[in-house]
Amino acid sequence: MKVSFFETGRYAVPADIPREWPVPSGAYDPAVGAKAYQGMVERARFVQKLGFDWISLSEHHYSPRILTPSPPLSAAHLASHVDGIKIALLGPIVPVSNPIRVAEELAMLDTMLPGRFVFGLLRGTTNEYLSYDLNPKEARERTDEGMELILKAWSEPQPFGWQGRYFQYRTVSIWPRPQEQPHRPTYALGVSAEAADFAARHRLGLGVSYGNVELMAKSTGYYRQRCSESGWEPGPDDIIWRANMILGESDEAADAALERRSAQGQAPFPIGARLRSALIEQDKRNVGGEKRPANVGGILPISFCGGPDRVIKQIKEAREKIGVGVLDLSLADPGGGDTDAMMSKIELFGKTVLPRIREI
Amino acid sequence: MFKVAERASSPPPNGATPREGHVEADGFRIRYREAGEGIPLVHLHGAGGLRWSPAHDLLARHFRVIAFEMPGFGDSPENTQTRTMAEYAATMIRAADALRLDKFNLWGTSFGGKTALWLAAQAPERVLALVLESPAAIRPENFAIPAGTAEEMARRLYGHPERLKSIPVPDPAIRAKTQPLVNRLLAPPRDAELEARMATMETLTLVLFGTLDRVIPSEMGRHYKALMPNCHLVLVYDAGHVIRIERPEAFCDVVEDFLERHEAFLISRTDTLIHP
Repeated sequence: MKVSFFETGRYAVPADIPREWPVPSGAYDPAVGAKAYQGMVERARFVQKLGFDWISLSEHHYSPRILTPSPPLSAAHLASHVDGIKIALLGPIVPVSNPIRVAEELAMLDTMLPGRFVFGLLRGTTNEYLSYDLNPKEARERTDEGMELILKAWSEPQPFGWQGRYFQYRTVSIWPRPQEQPHRPTYALGVSAEAADFAARHRLGLGVSYGNVELMAKSTGYYRQRCSESGWEPGPDDIIWRANMILGESDEAADAALERRSAQGQAPFPIGARLRSALIEQDKRNVGGEKRPANVGGILPISFCGGPDRVIKQIKEAREKIGVGVLDLSLADPGGGDTDAMMSKIELFGKTVLPRIREI
Repeated sequence: MFKVAERASSPPPNGATPREGHVEADGFRIRYREAGEGIPLVHLHGAGGLRWSPAHDLLARHFRVIAFEMPGFGDSPENTQTRTMAEYAATMIRAADALRLDKFNLWGTSFGGKTALWLAAQAPERVLALVLESPAAIRPENFAIPAGTAEEMARRLYGHPERLKSIPVPDPAIRAKTQPLVNRLLAPPRDAELEARMATMETLTLVLFGTLDRVIPSEMGRHYKALMPNCHLVLVYDAGHVIRIERPEAFCDVVEDFLERHEAFLISRTDTLIHP
């Protein structure tokens, strides 16, 4: 089992900042922001030393709780300060992006430091569509088309035009290209049937996130079935699971922490009730083809909880049922909590769990 | 499951009724359908024969569209006379002569794409610009002409057959009649003589492939781009081999723009101003 640490650019959020998304940018403190970005580097070095395989990044906007609106810039920042550890961009949000720009920037990263980066292409959470003024109803199809165009831009040797549904370019011919053809290891991100279909058709990995083992297994089971229909079989490294973990010195300590979290847990991007309802109404989602409402402004589930032994059992179960080979972990709620406490959990994980899950 | 229509000779879509006529060339009586005014746009069909489509209607709003039914297709007698694609193209030049088409835009589809290339090679001064829709002039070694049941054919020809209202079924008798001609004129997958001509061809050319083409993979498009000095390649997202049927608006948009503005079609005219 490989392990990735989900880095969120932890901004120390004062208690008096409004929680509701979008958070007023006037409340931003430049000194705290600069410290947050220094902290990214420190944590990357720390998790690398502990033996984590990857550090992962995401794209979120208009909030101090995940302070990384540009994955390529975040990745370049980390890569310029930390040697060795792989950096996973999970991912750029494709439907709100210029796919050609995404293709170029990811190829640039791959050229600057060949093999250091892992790429994931994402549909994105619903609130992010408000950031760049995207109609949520178009998000799915824009994602599929954008991903197809990115892959084509990476691999097509001749200049070409693209006559799409949502994207149109009369001529595309990117420089630089990725260092490997047709591309570096790349993942379609999402639990939906559409993400799995795309990944299977293009021989990409699949990155699923947040939910219990059964739900994730439904998604990856569908993915594996579609891969089989496309004539190939994904390996463990082809499946990433981004999940929250509460790790304690003992099961009791972890359970107590889970209880506290259940009582006080806060969503990273809380959204007003009426806007939330309107967004859910327009953004249709599914898990492996089964309808499921979008998680808009909600609390993210805890997928692992316990002391080291119980968590290791849970990881084994995840390997067996989901087929996951890369765990992308948050050891505190993304965008929340005490950073020092989180660092001690990372250390606990690195010393008591990580060495014992390598063979899983 | 998708709906398959009963016969290929379905009526023209959108209520459009193209004019119809015949010309004589090289001893063949060649049927054509025609609509629109302006600069002529000659269409040479694929191995499935002539079928007037919504794309013809869209293009007829800007051009005088003349779609020939090439000798041996449709209800014409079996063509055992034509031995090579170069000969076939020469016949089509004479068909254009019979209609007094001096200079014209030329659109070739799949099998007809190879005919169109040979036509442009032999009469470059006549061809204002060339559009090749899923052309079959360069094919992979494992290429096979679509065959089988109507459903099997549809799955090869279309990216999303299930999205189409109806799909024409080729008449087996016509298919049996045209197959030897198609095989004879298409072979081999790489035509060294034609490719040598393409390498020196100055004709402004637009090659289109659907990203879901399961007859000739879209990767073949790069060979045209690499070979021909004035060639542009456009990939039509989510379309199969029959681009004009699956994504007619997308197909006609770029074709019209290319035929109207030539190289300047690369320059966007899309207005992005939201509120003046």
